[in-house]
Amino acid sequence: MSDPPKFAESLLRRLVGGRDADAVAGDLRETFEARGASRLWYWGQVLSCFAVRFSLHRRALPGIGTDFSRAVRRMRRNPGYALTAMLCLALALGVNTTLFSFLDSMYFRKLPVPDAGRIVEIRRQKAEFCTAQNYFAFRDGLRSVQAAAVSGSGGYMEVGRTAFVAQAERVSSNYARVLRLGTTLGAWFGPESESAAEPPAVIGYRLWKTRFAGDPSIIGTRVRVMERDYRIVGVARPEFTGTLPPMTMDVWLPLARRSNSRITSLVARMAPGENLASVRAEMRVISARLQAADPADKTLASPLVVQPDAGFVFEWNRTFFLPILTLLSAVSGMVLLIACVNVANLLLSRATVRQREIAIRQSLGASRPRLFRETFAEGLLIAAGGLALGILIGYWSGRALELFLPSLPAAMYHGLTLDVDWRVALFLAAAGIASAILFSLPPAMASSRRNLNPAMKGDTIHTSRQRELYSVVQVALSLTLLIATGLLLRALDRAQHVDPGFASGHRVFVNVRDLASQPQMDSLVERVRELAGVEDATLAGTIFPNTGVDCVSAEHEANPRQARSNIVDPNYFDFMRIPIVKGSGFAPAGSITETPRVILNETMARNFWPDTDPVGKTIWLGCPPDQTQKLGTVIGIARDTKYTSMVERPMPMVYVSRREDAGSGFWSLIVRTAGEPHRWIRPVLDLAQHSGGSLIVYDSGTLDDAVAQSLWEVKWQASLLAALGLLAIVLAAIGVYGVVACSVAQRTREIGIRMALGAVPLDVQWMVLAHGLRVTAIGIAAGLLLSAFTVRLLRGFLYGLSPFDPIAFAAASLAWIAIAVLASWYPARRATRVDPLTALNYE
Amino acid sequence: MGELRRTPGPHSPIDGDSYLLYYTEQMPPTYLGEFEQIVLLAILRLGEKAYGVPIRAEIENRASRKVTVGALYSTLDRLEAKGLVHSWFADATAQRGGRSKRYFKLLPAGMEALAGSKAVFDRMWEGLHV
Repeated sequence: MSDPPKFAESLLRRLVGGRDADAVAGDLRETFEARGASRLWYWGQVLSCFAVRFSLHRRALPGIGTDFSRAVRRMRRNPGYALTAMLCLALALGVNTTLFSFLDSMYFRKLPVPDAGRIVEIRRQKAEFCTAQNYFAFRDGLRSVQAAAVSGSGGYMEVGRTAFVAQAERVSSNYARVLRLGTTLGAWFGPESESAAEPPAVIGYRLWKTRFAGDPSIIGTRVRVMERDYRIVGVARPEFTGTLPPMTMDVWLPLARRSNSRITSLVARMAPGENLASVRAEMRVISARLQAADPADKTLASPLVVQPDAGFVFEWNRTFFLPILTLLSAVSGMVLLIACVNVANLLLSRATVRQREIAIRQSLGASRPRLFRETFAEGLLIAAGGLALGILIGYWSGRALELFLPSLPAAMYHGLTLDVDWRVALFLAAAGIASAILFSLPPAMASSRRNLNPAMKGDTIHTSRQRELYSVVQVALSLTLLIATGLLLRALDRAQHVDPGFASGHRVFVNVRDLASQPQMDSLVERVRELAGVEDATLAGTIFPNTGVDCVSAEHEANPRQARSNIVDPNYFDFMRIPIVKGSGFAPAGSITETPRVILNETMARNFWPDTDPVGKTIWLGCPPDQTQKLGTVIGIARDTKYTSMVERPMPMVYVSRREDAGSGFWSLIVRTAGEPHRWIRPVLDLAQHSGGSLIVYDSGTLDDAVAQSLWEVKWQASLLAALGLLAIVLAAIGVYGVVACSVAQRTREIGIRMALGAVPLDVQWMVLAHGLRVTAIGIAAGLLLSAFTVRLLRGFLYGLSPFDPIAFAAASLAWIAIAVLASWYPARRATRVDPLTALNYE
Repeated sequence: MGELRRTPGPHSPIDGDSYLLYYTEQMPPTYLGEFEQIVLLAILRLGEKAYGVPIRAEIENRASRKVTVGALYSTLDRLEAKGLVHSWFADATAQRGGRSKRYFKLLPAGMEALAGSKAVFDRMWEGLHV
């Protein structure tokens, strides 16, 4: 009897698989002889089995239901271990979800408007798009898009006598139609708004809730926004916060047809059948036409940007969070890895317990793939449970993070939404499946090992070595995180002790806007000085951390450089305890002039005149071509201070006297008080508010608070990393505990014999403790090595602290030793409670 | 269109509260392709002896058409997925190289589908003489 071709048979096995393949091969063999033993016929039949392979109704993996029901049964019998595994996984998946939803809202989330995929943002890289006149001229001729214009933002709002900072945006009348916006109350303004006598305004939901207490009768209310009257006609939908996330708009105003302003950008909806390329082409043509019509306007030469409106629009917003988010992603990935190792460890210890059962089943004919699949099914179930719990935890940690977000400057966070959308869900599912594979593979391999002999005898050396190795990996990873956290906390501590260069204690500031004359401000300062408990007062154009920016150049209209600038009262330097190191301070009197006297800081002096004495030299102030330049004469050098943040590098700074520069009408009134400064905010505010005239107060606080708040970035980074580091340590400690506890369970018999032979409890305790400490010690060594390579990456977050800071390294290692002692303590104590008699009978 | 029915729940005793209210759609009769009918009939004819080899032989003898093993098994898998037949493994013989046979038998749903198909043809043929 001739045999069918071997290769064709093995192909058949690959195509059909399992017992089905056996049945088909059997059928073919039965008929092979009858068909004249034709190899060609046999090959034809095997190839026809492609139909079976790709049949939609193929019985996918026979017995898969049994795998899962067995896994469920095993987990029900031992719920503690399954729950621990799920919880470990859920914690890690939860924080990963939150972090991903953060990334999602920064880079991918589309505007909350209908058919948001068709919305594009059209602007220039470094300039405004065009004038409003230009826009109204080309708007109706556009083919590829319907475009609405958006013009500048910022400003403040007045309702009655109170004023507050509000983000305002002028938009063309088709804004709501292009974006298909709805309202919570009232309606959006339409074409009639372009020439209305009393222009309408739509306010944001957040503003409505916070400033108007959600008043349902708000429609028709009159408000003043940047010196003009508006009538509120609508309240935007809660989810819509403007087209420039993360900035949240508070009020939308109509762009008048006769407006002289420039428009910042266009927000457009692509017409059906058009794509990004065609929009780009059309906008390029329009831009070229604008440029030809006005060749002198250099802003029209700035490159065009046409991009889908998703995530944070502005590059600086995207890049600002990038380093910390990269760090946090890496860290939360590590946490997930630690959790996976934990689960793998737990599954391995289960596999050890079941070793004999598995060996018996294997010797009775259970196939290796089948055993592999069974363990894998268990892993998948744990992953599914972890995923479900992870979504919950992710939601909670998202909420917790949102509570924590107000410590960020307003513009940074209002546009962040940490909801779980389909992208986040997809990420979570992918992370869950990836981790299931990661942690199920090793135990599945272990349970389907070929060599049955040692397992039958109850020998478990192999897996316990493997599990010790896992524990070492966990300790190493979490030690690295602990060191990183320690470094960031040390950097925070350092930043908190940075000298700002000016005195901030006992100082209250009140920011005002006043269009009235200088004498009125002078009288306000005088009256504040007369308040009981007030020692002195001064005025400055801007205040830390919002110090102004100006252009400076050595020659007229030549390469202006950016420098910080401030317009200050003559007593400012004395008041703020900023020493004049060379030359003199400002004279107490003076008049507004085009050639003011200026005081530079040391950095500025060094940058402009590295070798000579700058006192007496001249310098051009102002940014051409928009501003006319003024010629300043340097009369003194002041010591460097911090201007925008406690962790900034030294920046050049120019001071001009308030006697010689009228400023922009915005002033910070700074008051030095005798006692606790918060108590004086109210009286100073009252005085300012009732000083009459056009004075409006829009912000107040103490300088100490402003300084502390400027550390938000450092605090934010340190606390997020600390939270993740803590989670990693908890997970790794569970891992160490599991390994030690399991080895105690496995060595019950040995311990019993030792006790029976006269070992004292202390010996046994030490033996167990030493096991935990040995694993930890190896982990710490590996972790220190790993940290030596990775901490360099932290350099950008440390504000000058060396990444190899010995205190952080030593503290983290010691902390881990303490944790290891704690984690091994309980199993060690339990070991000594073993009754020798029970232990000897123990199997 | 659906028809509103009051039907007791599958495992609940019939009392007032446990009645489930739902729409039942008139289920369309399971449609069988020609080859599916032939395979089902072959299984029916063979009775207890229905496994791959005799099923193929039966079809080749009676319907005079060549059937590849792939086409047969993919159809059988489909019929099983539809719940028309049931299969089990048994009888490994030396002649088959020690491999077990996959036996098939018709389930009541299969029988019903066959009867339905026949009824359709009968109605279509009624009064026709070719």
